[in-house]
Amino acid sequence: MSRAAGGGSWFPWLLLTPGMVFLLFFLVAPGVLLMALSLRDVDGMLMLLPSYSLAHYASAFASAGYWVALGTTLWVAVLTALLCLLLAWPAAWLLVTTRSRAWRTVMYVILISPLLTSVVIRSFAWIVLLAQNGLVNDVLRKLGVIDAPLGLLWNMKAVIVAYVQVMLPFAVLPLATSLESIPPALPRASLSLGAGARHTFFHVLLPLTIPGMLSGAIIVFALAAGSYVTPLLIGGRLQPLLPINIYQQALQIANLPLAAALSLTLLVVTAAIAGLMSRWQKQWERRVHGH
Amino acid sequence: MSDIDIRAVAHRFGALQALDGVELAIGQGEFFSLLGPSGCGKTTLLNIIAGFIAPDSGSIAIGGRDITRLAPNQRDIGMVFQNYALFPHLTVFDNVAYGLRVRKHKPELVRQRVGEMLALVRLSELAQRMPHQLSGGQQQRVAIARALAIRPQVLLLDEPLSNLDAKLRKDMQAELRRLQRDVGITTVMVTHDQEEALSLSDRIGILGGGRLQQVGTPLALYRQPANRFVGEFVGQANLIAARPAGDGVFEAQSHRIAADAPLRLRADGGGGGDGGNADDGAASLFLLRPERIRLGPPDDGVSLVNAVRGTVREVSYAGAGLHLVVRLEGAGELIVAAPESLFARLPEPGLAVHLAWAPHDLVVLAAERSTAPGQPA
Repeated sequence: MSRAAGGGSWFPWLLLTPGMVFLLFFLVAPGVLLMALSLRDVDGMLMLLPSYSLAHYASAFASAGYWVALGTTLWVAVLTALLCLLLAWPAAWLLVTTRSRAWRTVMYVILISPLLTSVVIRSFAWIVLLAQNGLVNDVLRKLGVIDAPLGLLWNMKAVIVAYVQVMLPFAVLPLATSLESIPPALPRASLSLGAGARHTFFHVLLPLTIPGMLSGAIIVFALAAGSYVTPLLIGGRLQPLLPINIYQQALQIANLPLAAALSLTLLVVTAAIAGLMSRWQKQWERRVHGH
Repeated sequence: MSDIDIRAVAHRFGALQALDGVELAIGQGEFFSLLGPSGCGKTTLLNIIAGFIAPDSGSIAIGGRDITRLAPNQRDIGMVFQNYALFPHLTVFDNVAYGLRVRKHKPELVRQRVGEMLALVRLSELAQRMPHQLSGGQQQRVAIARALAIRPQVLLLDEPLSNLDAKLRKDMQAELRRLQRDVGITTVMVTHDQEEALSLSDRIGILGGGRLQQVGTPLALYRQPANRFVGEFVGQANLIAARPAGDGVFEAQSHRIAADAPLRLRADGGGGGDGGNADDGAASLFLLRPERIRLGPPDDGVSLVNAVRGTVREVSYAGAGLHLVVRLEGAGELIVAAPESLFARLPEPGLAVHLAWAPHDLVVLAAERSTAPGQPA
C-alpha cells in the first residue's frame, strides 16, 4: 500500500479493505484449505493420513466415469447458456422497446420472480408439473394427445429446462442493458442504406450486443456448471454430472479429499472457460470502443 | 425539373401540429436547407422524406415516383445523421461498404466503389481504422462517404455539422459544398444554424410553427423576408411599426426622436409580402437591417426623414464588426452594425451618434403564415 506524495492514493484501498477481509476469510482461506485437503492421503476407512500426494487427482483422471461427468457438466452448462441467450433476446427486446414505465416495471418483476423462490420449492414445482401423474401428463392425457404418461422427469432435458427457467434473468438483464445502449440512429442508418430488419438484426444489433450476451453467458454457464440441488431433485442422483458426484463423495461416501480434488478440477475448468469468454469480451470492447 | 415533390404534408404528435400543409418542390442537384428554430418541424419533415415517420396526410415523390408508403430501406436515400451513426464495430472500409454489401454487389465492385468514396472524402489511408479512432471531422466524412456509396437519388443531412467545433465547422462547410457539387446530388439539409444554411444552400426553406414561412435563395430571404418571423430569424433585424402620415411618410409608434416627435420613415416599395400596402391607413411593420444603418457624428438632421439621433448604450466587439445598441432620444432602440475599421478606437457607451438610412433599406413585412398566430417575441 502506498502512502506516497499526492496523498489519498491509500483511500481506495481503505474502502476495499472490509470486502477484501471478508473474501480472504470466506473465499481464499477455504480455497487453500480445500486444496490442501485434496492432497491428503486416506486409509482404507477413508480416514485422513498425515501424508500428501496427488493420488486423488490420479484416480479421478484415470476414471472414465469422471471424464464423462465433467464433459456432460460442461456440455449441459453450455447448452443452458445458449438456450438462455436464445430466449433472452425476445425478452430483452420487449423490455427495451416498451415505452410505458409501469409495464416495464411489471416485466422486470416477472423476470426476476424465479430468483425470489427457494431452489427446493422451485424444483418441487417442476416435479409437480412433470411427474408421471403431474399436471402436464394429466392435461395431455385428457386431451387425448397421449395414451401412456411420458417420462418427463428424471432426465437431463428436465434439468436443462429447470436451469433455463431460473437462470434466464441473468441472461436477459445484461443483454437488455447492452441493447439499450445502442443509439437508435444505428438501426436507422442501416435501414437508410437499404438493409431490411433481418439484415439490420444480424449485422448491427446482434454484433453490438456481443458484450451483453457474453456477460450473461458467463454467469449462466458458471451457475449451471456448479449446481447440484436442481439436478439431484429433477434429474435424479444417477445423472452423470460432476457436482452430483462431488456431493455424493463428500456427504454420502465421506471421501472428503476426493470430493475436494473433484471440486478444484471443476472450479479450474469452469474458471478457465469463463476467463476465455471474458477475454473475448474485453477484446471486442477494445476493438469497438478503444478501451 | 423538380426531384423531390412534397405535397400537402401534415403531421401531428399528440396535441402538437408538427407540420401543417407543407408544399415544396426541390430541383435536381439542388442544395436545399430546411432552417428553423428547434421544434419548428424541420427534423420531422426530414424523417418523413427518409421514411422514418409516416405523415398523417400528404405525399412525397422522388424523381416522379411516389414513395409516401415505401419503407426507408426501399427509398434509395442516403442519410447523414447528427451523431454520424457510424457502426462502431465495423472498420471505415466496412462502414462505407455496408450499403453495397446489402445490395449484394460483387466484392471487386465493393472494393472499387469504397475506394472511390474514400478518395472523394480524402480518407483513403484510414480505411482500416475503427470509428472510435477517428476525429469528429473524419467520422463526419466517413458518414458522408457511406451515404454516397450507394449512389442514392437524394442525400439527407440532419444537422451534419452541429457536433464540430467552430473552426472545423467552417472547413467542413466548404468540404460539404465541394462534395455536393462534385457528385451533383440533390441534397436536403436540416439545420438551426442560419449562417450554415446561408453559406451552403442554393435555396432555403424557413420553417416556423410547422409551416413553410418562406422559400428562397439566401439573398432573397435576407433582403426580402416575407414576414416578421423570417425577418427576425434570418439575421438581426430592427422592427419598427409605423402608421402612414401622408406623402408616403410613416410615423413610428415605438420609436421617437424626441418626446414630441415620432421617428419618420419613408420606404420605396421593396415590400416582401402581400401585406405591404402602404396606403390603407393601417400600421405597417418595417424591417431595417443593422448593417444598413449609417453611423455618423451628431448633427442637426433630426427633423429629416429616415434619420435619428441617439446615444450608444451597449457595444459588443466581434472582430470584423461592431454591434451597437443605440437608444433614441425620444423612445426606442436600434441595433446598428458597423465595420470595425470605422473606428480609431472603440466607441464607449454614452457617445452621441447620428443614424441614417436610405428608403430602399426599409423592408415592409407581411403578417406571417400561421393558422394560429404565435407571435415570436
